[in-house]
Amino acid sequence: MSKELNLWLDDLLKDIKIIQFKRKNSRRVRIDIAPEALPALLELLQGRASYVHLSAISCVDWIEDDEFELVYHVWSYETNSLVSAHTRISREPGVYLSVYDLYTPAAFFERDIHEMFGLYFEGSPDMEKFILTEWNGPPPMRKDFDSEAFVNQTFNWEEYHPQWLKDIEAEGGGITTRPEDVR
Amino acid sequence: MNELDKIPVRQEISVAEGNVKRSNPLANVFDELVRFCQSRSMFMLHYCTGCGAIELPPAMTSRFDMERLGIQPMVTPRQADILLITGYVSVKTLKRIILTYEQMPSPKYVIGICSCTVNGGMYWQSYATAKVLKEYLPVDIYIAGCMPRPEAVISGLRDLMGDIKSGRADNWKRYFQNYDHYLGNQQQLFGEDWQTPTDIIAEAEHYGLMTDQTLGEHTALLQKHQQPLEALEFSLGEKREKIQGENPREKNNE
Ligand code: SF4
Repeated sequence: MSKELNLWLDDLLKDIKIIQFKRKNSRRVRIDIAPEALPALLELLQGRASYVHLSAISCVDWIEDDEFELVYHVWSYETNSLVSAHTRISREPGVYLSVYDLYTPAAFFERDIHEMFGLYFEGSPDMEKFILTEWNGPPPMRKDFDSEAFVNQTFNWEEYHPQWLKDIEAEGGGITTRPEDVR
Repeated sequence: MNELDKIPVRQEISVAEGNVKRSNPLANVFDELVRFCQSRSMFMLHYCTGCGAIELPPAMTSRFDMERLGIQPMVTPRQADILLITGYVSVKTLKRIILTYEQMPSPKYVIGICSCTVNGGMYWQSYATAKVLKEYLPVDIYIAGCMPRPEAVISGLRDLMGDIKSGRADNWKRYFQNYDHYLGNQQQLFGEDWQTPTDIIAEAEHYGLMTDQTLGEHTALLQKHQQPLEALEFSLGEKREKIQGENPREKNNE
């Protein structure tokens, strides 16, 4: 049964012109789709092939292309396979549709992406701060946020070769095996 | 009343500045006994902040058995003497650590387990973690490693016991003596209006540990921004109703 459904689904998806379909193995499918058509695809998958489990939405910042890539991972218990639907939207203004009406857990993933990438989801129930409640800087997972510069500006560092260690070394002690000796 | 004052219990404070031994040999014996007892009965609050926490269950339970050293886990800061910080400390967590630390009764000891507490460890580049723990609280012992094995944890705890026994473990006093320094670092990270419910300055007076480093520009800033504490509003029910009202699904169903 599940084999048949898979074949049937593959045929159907290959026929649709606006998407790129690639079956990686019996349990994984990659689909590249235009942002306008993504909700429709998810609805089709959920309704017709029981892809009822949205396991994650991931986001990638392709700063050179000026685009965000969103990946919706949906799992079906009927066909035992995972569909990853990839779509790209432009970085500016960075607004996309929420799929909360199809998958309730999307609320959390979207809220998280909004916080980390600054991408806004229209129709998502809550776009408040989620984990970084005490963070006032720019969305930190965007590629244009320089984490290293921020760290160097905000924090001090422990000294690597402090005076007390030099004193010990002067007496003949100290670190016996240096990292350079091992590598 | 006068008689009671002569009992040398509180005199321990004068032991603070390096001169561990007192002139009266009998008092010395007494101090040593107190410190010995202290070092053999410690209650440990483990603040499991990072991955290093995973080494604590074997260190505490039957395999390596910390209890044979007299160290027991404790569930509340009010009844603990050791604060064990096990791993990377995010800025959000650091706030909670400071609140916890300030609630512990003195004498109190802080142990930083893992390289992350020393210098940021492998999260040195992360925007979210605080790097050098001892800038924000006085740390008694660091146990380096990513992550340190239970043997290392236990050997670190034995070092701490040795320090307590010989009277060298008095870093907790530094928090009161240099409060302005620690508060300044905290304010730099958390913003100017950072405040905790514990009145450290009053406690420093109580312990007789006021120095000219206790008060300064940062404590002045604290007093300027300080707001009296109020009980938190308990509004879980209302909030839930509000969110449900905004649920687009329910609207669609109507
Ligand atoms: S030192 Fe290593 S084990 Fe410890 S908290 Fe950091 S990353 Fe985790």
